[in-house]
This record gives sequence, C-alpha cells and structure tokens, in this order.
Amino acid sequence: MFLRQIDLTTALRPSLSPEETLLFVQDAVGLYEGKFKLPNCQYGHAYLTSHRVCYVDNTEPRKYSVGIDLKDVDRPEFFARFLKSSPKISFHPKANKRQSLSLRPPGPAAVPSGSSVSSSPIQGSPLRSYAASPAPPTARNATWICPICSFSNPVPENFDPAIANAHTPLPSCLACGIKPPLVHVIKASLSGIANRGPSLEPKTQSSSTALGSGVNHSDTFIPRLGEVSPEPRGSAFQCPRCTFQNHPSLLACEICGAPLITAADRRLDLDTARPRDDSPGPSLNGLHSTGDTLEVIKLSFRAGGEKIFYERLKGALLQRKWLLQSAPPIPKPTLADASTPNPSASSDGVSPGPAQRQTLGIASLERRGLEQRKNNELVIGNAFEDLEALMTSAKEIIALAESFANQNPSLSSSSTTNPSDAEANALLSQSASALGLVTTKDMLGSGSASENLYISELSRNLAEFLTDDTKGVLKREGGIISLVDLWALFNRARGGVELVSPRDFERAAQLWEKLGLPVRLRRFKSGLLAVQGSDRTDEKTTATVLAWFKEFHLEPPGGYAVIDDEGFEIKSRVPWDWRLYGRGVTAQETAERFGWSVGVATEELEMCEERGALCREQGIDGVKWWENWLVGPSVGDEPELDRIVRNLASTGV
Amino acid sequence: SPAPSMATAPTTAPSSSSSTAAISAQTPTTTFTATSSSPSTFPFPPHHTFPPFFTLQPNSSTRRTQLQLWTALILAYCRHTRTFRLAPIDAQDWPLFHNATLRRRLALRDIREVLSFMASTEGGGRAEWVSDAGKKAECWVYWRRPEEWAGLLEGWVDATGQRGAVLTLYELVEGDACRGQEWAGMDVELLQKCLQVLVKKGKAGIFGEEQPGVKFF
Repeated sequence: MFLRQIDLTTALRPSLSPEETLLFVQDAVGLYEGKFKLPNCQYGHAYLTSHRVCYVDNTEPRKYSVGIDLKDVDRPEFFARFLKSSPKISFHPKANKRQSLSLRPPGPAAVPSGSSVSSSPIQGSPLRSYAASPAPPTARNATWICPICSFSNPVPENFDPAIANAHTPLPSCLACGIKPPLVHVIKASLSGIANRGPSLEPKTQSSSTALGSGVNHSDTFIPRLGEVSPEPRGSAFQCPRCTFQNHPSLLACEICGAPLITAADRRLDLDTARPRDDSPGPSLNGLHSTGDTLEVIKLSFRAGGEKIFYERLKGALLQRKWLLQSAPPIPKPTLADASTPNPSASSDGVSPGPAQRQTLGIASLERRGLEQRKNNELVIGNAFEDLEALMTSAKEIIALAESFANQNPSLSSSSTTNPSDAEANALLSQSASALGLVTTKDMLGSGSASENLYISELSRNLAEFLTDDTKGVLKREGGIISLVDLWALFNRARGGVELVSPRDFERAAQLWEKLGLPVRLRRFKSGLLAVQGSDRTDEKTTATVLAWFKEFHLEPPGGYAVIDDEGFEIKSRVPWDWRLYGRGVTAQETAERFGWSVGVATEELEMCEERGALCREQGIDGVKWWENWLVGPSVGDEPELDRIVRNLASTGV
Repeated sequence: SPAPSMATAPTTAPSSSSSTAAISAQTPTTTFTATSSSPSTFPFPPHHTFPPFFTLQPNSSTRRTQLQLWTALILAYCRHTRTFRLAPIDAQDWPLFHNATLRRRLALRDIREVLSFMASTEGGGRAEWVSDAGKKAECWVYWRRPEEWAGLLEGWVDATGQRGAVLTLYELVEGDACRGQEWAGMDVELLQKCLQVLVKKGKAGIFGEEQPGVKFF
C-alpha cells in the first residue's frame, strides 16, 4: 500500500476530513516498511482515525508525516513484545492493480552502502533497491540463525561475503533485535551460496580470505569508529545480580532478568544511530517503496498502547466509515402518492388536486412548509428509533442542528444581545466542527505517559482552535487574549462534551513553547497570563503603540472648535503643546483602538512604560499614558528657539 | 544684540510656548539686581507644560530623569526669585509646582520626595532639611552652596577693603552697602552657616550674642 504524505494542521496534528473522527492517539511509535525501519520515522505519534492511520514525526513533523488509508488495508496483524523487540501491528496491503510499475533500473550508485567507506557509522538494513550489485548474485535465499533466540532471519540480499568486513552494517534479528556476529552471517551466506551452485566456487576462495581477515576482528559487530566503550567487547557480560555471563548486547540478564546497564547504553546508541540509508534512485522522500512488491507496513509501539490501538483499528475496519463519504443519502419513504387522481373527481376539474399543486401562491408555500416539516419529522423519527441508524443519519442531523443554531443565535448564547456577539456564539456552538477538535481522555491509551499525552494533545487542540482562520479567535481579540477568556471560549466551543479544568488548561498552555507551536503564553508583570501569537514580541507591540502615538502630533486633540478633553474652553488648543507632545491616552482608548480587552491594554501600556517608551500621568480622571518626552529630545538646556537664534547669530543676522 | 547675553546666562532659557514673551523677559534677569524678580517673569522650560512631568514616574530610569529635571527647575526658580528657604506646604501653590493653565500640580508628598532627592548625594546635595526632628517641614535650597557663598563674601570683603572691620550680620544682609549683592535678603541663619565655613577655615570670627557680628581676618 502506499504511504502517503499527509497534511498537518498548525498544531502538527493530521488534518481530518469532515467526516473523519479521531479514535486513538499514541506516542513513541516507529514505522517500518517490510522488515526495515524507515529513516526519520522512528519517533512520533500515531493517530488512528476512522479513515486512516497517520504517523506524525516528532522531530520534523512537516517532512516525515505519512498515513495509510484504511481502505487499502487488507488485514492487520498483532505481534506481542518479545525480548527486545517492541510490540508491533502490521498492516497487510490489499493486492492492487499496480503491477505495471516497472522495476527501477539499477542506479549508478548501486554499490551496497555497507561496503562504502563512509566515516559515519551507518548501520542498519541494507538498501531496499534490489539493484544488482557489481558483485555476483549473492545468496538471496540464505538464512542465518540467531544465536540468541534461534529465529531464522534472511541474509540481506546485497550482503556480499567477499567484501564484508567489520564495517559492514548488519541487520539485527527480527525476533529479538540483537545483532549477530559478522562471522555468523558470512558463514550463513556462504552456505547459501554453496547451496545455490558450484559456479560461485571461485568466489568462495576469495571470500574465505575475506573471512580470514574478518575473523581476526573480534566478533564485535558494532563497527563504530572512534567510539570507546568501556566494557569488554569480545567477552560476555556478567550480570550484576546472578553473575551469569550474558551476551554483551543483551539488555536484561537471560536468567534473572536484571537490567544490564551498559548494554542498555549501547542499545540506546544503536537506536539513535540506526537510520536507514536513503535508497538511490528517485523516490519521493525516500519513503515509498518503488519496487513492485508492496511491503507490509508496521507500527512499533515503544511505550505501550498497542492493544487498544488494535481493538480500535479492528473496529474501524469493520465499520468502514470511508464508504459513507460516497454513499448516497438514505432514500426517504415516498409519501403516499395522492397525486393519482381519482377517476371520479378529475374529469370535472372541480377541485383538481394535482393541478393545484403546481400553482404559485400562498397555498403552495404553505404546502411546501408542511412537506418540509413532515420530512423533518420523518428524518428525526427514523433516526431516533435506532441509535445505529442515528449514526448513519448523523450527517443530516448535524446539518439540521447547525441550521437551527444559526437561525436562533439567542437560544445558544446566554446573555448577549449584541448582534456580532450572537453571531460569534452561533459560530462557536457549531457542534460539527467542535466534535472534530476534541480529543477526549478515552481516546488515549493507558500507560504512565497518558497524562502527558493528554496534556500535549490538548495543547495542540488549543493551538488549532486559536489559529483557525475560520473562527479568527485571536484576530477578533486584537491578537492577544487573556487566558481566562480563552478558557471560557474553548469550553463553550466544546459544547459541554468534555470540559477542561483550569489546571489542565494552564498546563497545556505552558506546553506550547516546548512543542514549538505558533502561539505562546505570556506572563505580565502583575501575573496576568495572556495568549498571543509567537510572532508578536514586546518590541513589535511597543513599536505599534508608538506609531499610533505619532498620529497625535498631526492633529489637535479634540479639534479646533470643540472644548478639548481638559474641559477648557480654549478656542484652539489644549494648554500643552500638542504638536510637540501629542496627547495622553487612557487604557480604554487603547483597548478600543487595538481591539484588546481593557485589562490587556493596561498591561501592554505598562509594559511599554517599563521599557521607557511611555510615561504616565496621574490626573483626577485617572491615569493617562504619554510618549516619554521626559527623556526625549525636547527636554534639555537647548530648546529650539535658542538653537535657532544662535544659528542666526552665527550667520551674522 | 541679545545673543551673547543669552549664552552667558544658563537660567534664561526661553520656553517654546511663550516665545515672544520670553525674549523680552530675558533682559531684566541677566544682571543680578537686588530686587527679587517676580515669579511671573521666570521663563519656565518646555517640560513644565508636559502633564506627566507632574506625576512621579514608576519606571526607575524615567523617574531619575524626572527628578533631575525638577532639581534643575527648582534651583533656577529659587535663584530667580531669590528664595533661600522652601517649605513644601507653602510652596505647593507656587507657579513652580502648580501649573494653573495646565491644571496640574505636583503633590505635596511628591514635593518632599523631590527635595529629599536634592538633599541626597545623588541629587548633588543642593538642599538641606532644616533640622526639626525629621518632620521635613522646611528646607534650605542651595542654589549656591554655603561654601560658594563664603567665597563670594570673602571676595566682597577684600574688594571693599573691609578686612579687619567688624560687621554685623544684619548689616551684611540688609545694609546699604550690600544692596546690590547676591546675598542681600538672605536669611540670617543661612548667613551664619556660610560664615561658619569661613570660621572653620580660620578666615573669620563670629562673636556677640544679641547682635552677632563678624570680623574677617
């Protein structure tokens, strides 16, 4: 099946189509294609929706997020945890018609990277492109037996015993995840070759020399250059609890299960340094299989949650909600057709029933309304008879509900009579969009990290809610909104489905910066918490405010003929030099100008004052803010007139 | 032309608002006459008509600048009106602290704040609270410090050849000979302070209780 790039919302979650619902979220998953790990797709979140399974990477979400459509999945399979390998769910693709895809011709760089002398320690699966390597056909069918768990693994196709050396990257055992010793794999591949035919005999000679040289290396199979690991490599590792000599790469002792710490260090390094090679040849992002075989896609769950994921996945596959998208609407039972005329009454035309149906007029309008109401009645009746049927008619019910909500905004809002507010409330209470935003607690798996996952998902929900352009929450509030107001708005938008407690809300808000989302939480001097977009800094706000102040220099406050704001009946101007100083503003005026709330406006003005851009004036009528001319250029021992006269004097006037 | 006299007198800075009146107001203040100039002729600086000037600023750096401006203004004003002593409770109605056109005034509490700043080393030590058990009811405004006064007095005594003569303090302050001098009309207490400086240096001696007199050596 195809792994598709998916669209992400601003909060880096997959954007869902209108009918798609989110079923489950799990973090710490990795993605495999076939037997090999996909590069850059090893640490991320898995989102299960009714239509898709999506993977969103943690480090570079925009680049490495992919999804599988559930309609392409034939069946899922569940693998429980075994030794070192995490539990996996694999998705088997449906056989599709894409057999016409030709094999990619071997690219020029078809040398197995295993033997390339790259200084970076690239370990991992060999190249996916099965292009012919310059070496003779290697043992395609050879298998090597893992010394730990005796699982028979295939030797990688491009593994060439002739040129394999200590730097060859080796795949780990599929069952237990431990890398085999190089010697082992060479032997297995040789036996595979030997089984295939004698034509490769001369090769074995050279390969045996390679073997000979290979053997001299210690049976270390971690060809890491320049890395010094303190514990003995070749010898076995002694368990601290039971003194059993374990294999060096095991994580836990085989006998007593005590954790082996140093091996764990190495395993961590192993994990981080095991990216897949980019396959040569032009493939999209190197993620898709370009061969003709469709590989099984696997999700590896490193932090649990696989059982619930599997259950929900099975449920989603059963329900096949994606079919609903193209399903025609349910045919309504037709009304008893009264239009068949009674043969007795029609001929006269006394009261031609069907004929009247076509005429215009108030009667037909009334009839239309009546039919509409009957229709609604039927729909609602059918829907509520059976809850299952409700789910299928859910689309229509939601549309009905929306239309009612829009018609009667006062019903949904509580107190406002302001028309713009009523409209805002109507928008907010649209349940369809609200449902899509909700990540409820039962969608998340169990585990020690579920609380954190809930908070981080909530945080993403919030970011999406804030940056949603159709709602324009931030825009309506002038770019900044206090946390309390936002909490009220958000809970109202959820429509009472699952309200968020203030503490959870605050914790989610504090995660924004850590997750790199485009909104940030800001703490003012007085302790007020406010939310604004990440691109608004204090400097920008100060500059905007000062630019507004500059306007005051251009026109007299209050105009010429009006009593100025001081209450003086001065004909022309206020007692101070408004050309020089402009005028003072109250927090109220600032709030009106920028669309903020008054509390936020006060805080912003005080912030500007802290930076020295503004100064305040305490009058009988309250506090006003001015541009800071106390430290400005108009103050000093050299007022303008002085300077002018001096200049004139110097020129000899 | 008025230009060179403007340059020499730092206190006669004309304000931009009352431009025409300022130039004519300059001439009487360039020479130090004995008559105290009235407050109405004092040329206030432009920031005196800036409303926030009358509100003590919370921002510390702005506040420091504001206090410095007030210090300079008070000193200039006192020099102009030849005020040596200032009681905040009386002074709050002066045109200095109360701008009638602007309808803004500096609050009593803030006046004391400014004077305390002036009395501190940061403010230059240009004021001193009259010691009355810390009640801060009155303070000396040193638009000239006692040391400077002492120097002036000594200079005058030398110029008029009165070394060795005995002068009463009253004579110094109110006498005809001193009419044109800067210290005319000074408080006797302040004069005593200035003379103490000289006494410490050994250049003069004060004696007499009822009619204190001074002799310059």
